[in-house]
Amino acid sequence: MKRNTIVLFVVLFILAAFGWAGWANWEYRRQAAERALASAAKGDLATSPSGDMPELMLPMMNKPAPAFTLEDLSGKQVSLASYKGKAVLINFWATWCAPCKIETPWLIDLRNQYASQGFEVLGISADDLDLNDKQKLSEEKQEIASTATQMHIPYPVLINADAISKPYGGLDELPTSFYVDRNGTVVAVQIGITSKDEIESNIRKALGAGK
Amino acid sequence: MHIRAIPAMAALALAALAAHAQFPLAAEQDHSVAKSNAVEYLYPEQVTVPAGKPSAVEMHFRVAHGLHINSHAPKDSYLIPTVLSVPDASGVHLENATYPPGADFTLPIDPDTKLSVYTGEFIIFTRIVAQRGNHLVEAKLRYQACDNNACMPPKTITVPIDVIGK
Repeated sequence: MKRNTIVLFVVLFILAAFGWAGWANWEYRRQAAERALASAAKGDLATSPSGDMPELMLPMMNKPAPAFTLEDLSGKQVSLASYKGKAVLINFWATWCAPCKIETPWLIDLRNQYASQGFEVLGISADDLDLNDKQKLSEEKQEIASTATQMHIPYPVLINADAISKPYGGLDELPTSFYVDRNGTVVAVQIGITSKDEIESNIRKALGAGK
Repeated sequence: MHIRAIPAMAALALAALAAHAQFPLAAEQDHSVAKSNAVEYLYPEQVTVPAGKPSAVEMHFRVAHGLHINSHAPKDSYLIPTVLSVPDASGVHLENATYPPGADFTLPIDPDTKLSVYTGEFIIFTRIVAQRGNHLVEAKLRYQACDNNACMPPKTITVPIDVIGK
C-alpha cells in the first residue's frame, strides 16, 4: 500500500513537471509573439546611431575617412580627396533599399540648404555590379541612373561601393552614412535610417557649426 | 540518497532540460547574428515521391525575429522578391512554386507606405518532379531582408533537401 502511494506520488510529480515544462513553452512563445508585435508597432529608431555601430566602424570615428576614387554615373572618376575643405556626407545606398528611398529626399533638402556653407553629399550605390559582363554592367548602371533621376538626386552618385566596403566597415546594412569634416575626419557614423533632425545635426557637426 | 528519490530527481532534471530548451540563451538571440542569417530553412530534410510524377512538397522557412523579407510579390518593382529555385541538373524539376501572400508592413518612419513582407515562419508550396533515385538537391532561396531601420544586401541561401524518387 505504502509502495503504491509512493509510485503514485512519483507519477503525479512527473506529470506535474511536464505540465510545467509545457506551460513554460507556451509562455515563452506568447512573450516572443508579444515582443514581435511590439517591435513591429514601435520600431526602434536609431536615435543613437553610435550605439548600434558595428565594431568595425568604431575605430573610424575621429580618424581620416578612408580615401577612395570611384566612377560616377557619367563615367568620371571622383575622389574623396577632391572635396578637401568641404564637409562631406558619404551616403551608401542601393536601389532595392526601402529606408534609403525615405532618407534620400531629406539628404537632397539638407544638401541644398547647406551647400553654400561648403557641404556636399556623395551618394555611393551598393548595388551589385557584374564587372566582367559589359552588357549586364551597362544595364545595372542604367538602373542606378534611372533611380537617381527619378529621385531628382542633385549630388554626385558614385557606383561600386563594394570596392571600398572593407575600409568602410563592411557595409552590411544600408543606408550607412559617414559624416566627414573639412579636414577629412569622420565625425559621425549613422547606420540605418534615423530622423532628418539627426542627419542635420551631424551635418552641422561636420561643418563645424556645432549642434 | 534514498533509492526511491531517483525517479523524482530524474523527472525534475528532465523537466528542467525541457524548459531550458524553450528559453534559449541570450547569445543565441543576438540581433547581429540574426541579421547575417535572416532566413533559416526548417524542413523537410528528406522527401520520398513517386518518380516522374508531380508531387507536392511544402517547404518551411523562418525569418529571424525582428527582421522581415520582401514577399514573392512586393508592392514596388524596385524591391527584390523572395524566389525559390532548383538547379537544373539536380535530378529534380521544380514544376511550380506557390508563395504565401505577404503581410502588410509599414516602417515606423514611414507609416504611409505599405510593404508586402514575410515575418516569422512561412511555407512555400512546391510541385516537384523527381527522376528515379536519390537526389541531394541544393535548392536556392533568394531574399532581401531588413529590420525597421536598415536593409541587408540580397542574399541567396542553400536549401538542402534529400529527394528520393521511387
